[in-house]
Amino acid sequence: MARRLKRAERAYARKARQAVHILFFKHHRLPGVRGWELRQELGPEWIEVLEVLDSQLKPLDLQVTRVFDDPDLYAEPTRTQLADARYYITLRGRVDQKTAKTIGWRIDDIAGLAVAVAYLISKQGRAPRGDVEKALAEKLPGWRVRMNLNRYIEEGYLGEAEGGILHLDWRSRAEIDQKQLVDLVLGFGRRSKG
Amino acid sequence: MRAEDARTQLESVIDLCRAVSEGALDPFAVDADYVLSVIRRHYPEIRSLEEFCIDASAIMELSSVLEKQNEWIHHQSTTLYKDPFMLSQQLMKMDIGAIAEALLRSWHPIVELEQVSASTLAASLGYWGGLLPIDERWSEPEIMEVETGTATRREALELGLLLEEGFAEALETMWRGLRDRAGEDERIGYWDWVGAETYEETVQRAFMTCFLVGYGYANMEADRFGERIELIPLEEQRPASGAAKVSLPIMVDYEEWKRWREG
Repeated sequence: MARRLKRAERAYARKARQAVHILFFKHHRLPGVRGWELRQELGPEWIEVLEVLDSQLKPLDLQVTRVFDDPDLYAEPTRTQLADARYYITLRGRVDQKTAKTIGWRIDDIAGLAVAVAYLISKQGRAPRGDVEKALAEKLPGWRVRMNLNRYIEEGYLGEAEGGILHLDWRSRAEIDQKQLVDLVLGFGRRSKG
Repeated sequence: MRAEDARTQLESVIDLCRAVSEGALDPFAVDADYVLSVIRRHYPEIRSLEEFCIDASAIMELSSVLEKQNEWIHHQSTTLYKDPFMLSQQLMKMDIGAIAEALLRSWHPIVELEQVSASTLAASLGYWGGLLPIDERWSEPEIMEVETGTATRREALELGLLLEEGFAEALETMWRGLRDRAGEDERIGYWDWVGAETYEETVQRAFMTCFLVGYGYANMEADRFGERIELIPLEEQRPASGAAKVSLPIMVDYEEWKRWREG
């Protein structure tokens, strides 16, 4: 029994290492790997392997993040939906301002991204570019508004469809906890007063 | 009501509905009953195909508004829904530092690595070894001024400026060759067919093969990934059926030819 357990443990450890290779290194134009690709490499117990990996990454402040193509959240996703989802390794904790600066983000850029994302969330994820620019122009100079929006689009946080309609793109879905952002914005005054 | 007025009214409701699809208008800002009444009023007066198309567009746009209304209700029932007005008021109240802090607390950047593997490195070294020095690659072609003169047909043939036979004859010869080479299998791999001793001849064969397929002398089949491409010569030339054709781009570059030559 003990030997069988040991063997299973070793198999999971080996598969977790394999999952690290698949998830950390970029294989496609965009980062992230689809569930079915992981299933192909890791076998039928791929979801369990990801759970093991996630717990192993915890002490390193990293996590396995799952993003569905459909922005609507699935309360209890089916195995097919899990196989279609995209998986990433992301930071588990928060980024402090100092770190953000070292990775090339000015405080204005971060605030601008927050405003653009929050604005789009409030508009069900889509709004004309002009409206987003107007919201940003409340606190940023016009030239910076255009430059920042182009940067957010280039980096995959926002997407621009025909007719200048902006939407939340793959990186926002993968990296930003939208619910937490909205709650933090709405709770701002209350928290400070309290 | 004149036909012109009816058309203007329909077009304005189409624009109104499109503004919803583009996110410029709240889906509930459109009165679906009113839009429907406009469509209903003008439907009996439709006289031409163009008017019918406008009417159909209006119905389509209205249905997309109803879909948006449904999505909106669905969104409002999720935990993510927060009043847009409240949200924008809060953002106005906050200073840049506080807004940035809110994002930083909900931001979990992706971690990714890029690394060169040993096999990529080996392949790159192989490429580097075979790469011609830059002065050779970028050398300007030597152009000499020569006196204009005349050449005989034989000389033009020898220089490769003229085909020994007409294009149609060359194609027929090629077709016969393809049937012979395909043999009993009645098919042959693309590179087994176009590949020749020299790169120039290979390109020439690939060029003619395009016409063999295009003019219905042979069919081409590729597997799902386009890795194995085969030619199937036809017993009789099949003229174009008028059905939609599929283009299949095949790279016949020098590197590819060299790889084929080296087996």
